[in-house]
Amino acid sequence: MFCDEVLDAVERIAAGEETPDRRAADHLATCRQCAAALADARAIDVLLRARPAPRVPAQFTSRTMARVRGDRWRRERVLDAGFNLALGLILFGLASVVWMLLNGSGLASVGDDAVAVFRTAGVALARRVAPALPLYAGAALLLGGALAFWWWAERDAAA
Amino acid sequence: MEAGHERELVERCRRGDETAFQALVERYKDLVFALIARTVLDRSRAEDLAQDVFLRVHRGLPYFRGEARLSTWIYRIVANVCLQERSRPAVSIRQTPLDSPGAQVASASIDRRFAELELRDRVEKAIARLPARARLLIAAHYLEGVRYEELADALALPLGTVKTQLFRAKQQLRRILETELS
Ligand SMILES: [Zn+2]
Repeated sequence: MFCDEVLDAVERIAAGEETPDRRAADHLATCRQCAAALADARAIDVLLRARPAPRVPAQFTSRTMARVRGDRWRRERVLDAGFNLALGLILFGLASVVWMLLNGSGLASVGDDAVAVFRTAGVALARRVAPALPLYAGAALLLGGALAFWWWAERDAAA
Repeated sequence: MEAGHERELVERCRRGDETAFQALVERYKDLVFALIARTVLDRSRAEDLAQDVFLRVHRGLPYFRGEARLSTWIYRIVANVCLQERSRPAVSIRQTPLDSPGAQVASASIDRRFAELELRDRVEKAIARLPARARLLIAAHYLEGVRYEELADALALPLGTVKTQLFRAKQQLRRILETELS
């Protein structure tokens, strides 16, 4: 059936991608069905060309950028959490290794003695420092206040 | 966009330059949105999906090696987003009989303007009945700025296949319209 062949090529002919040969051109001139299909294909092509392009909503860019920022922030948090977890695991592993070495070499008892020495020294230090505590607190407050003021002034200057 | 300028923009985006990424969004938003809005059946999803495309671009930029053009890579993401979007039930086409039975798409008209609007509406509804890939091909082909070659690259298909699929899509569209109008 020659109609089938022509009907199959109608879209290419309408788009100008194919020129009908002599036989197809003669057929198109005499066959009502194929001629109508070609006319339809041409009309559809014109309509598709004239289809108005959908308009991007206002604020599209700012809304997209907000989503991009949110996404980046979330991913950075996940990354941070992963990093902290890895670091924690490494430290735990190292501590375990040190503990096992100490246990294995009999150094653990020496470790216990060391802990006792540090504890006594700590208590003695706390007793000696206690009377001067208000003085230290005052100095720390002054320093903290000065730093806060400096930060506030810097921030104002930057803005 | 020139290749050099494009590479520089991509490089700046990869370094985390937000202004550069905003420029990229500005550059491609019209085409990305138009492609999606013409391909997905639920228009209200178009903005969300277009934003998804740019999110994927942002996440993927560190791995974009520049073997393909930036635009081709973006079209590929658009195609994935459109084709992954669950297809919704086809829009029902209004069965309005024409004045004269068997009249042609191009010629049925008393009031030309009205007929044209009605015809446009019918074409949109007929397009909605096409498969997603056919809708995407028609959308891309008739939007300025998308070439056959880029479309073929984006869909990872040979050029000839893309052309054949496009003509098949238009043939399907014509048949839907003819069946409905006869
Ligand atoms: Zn024929």
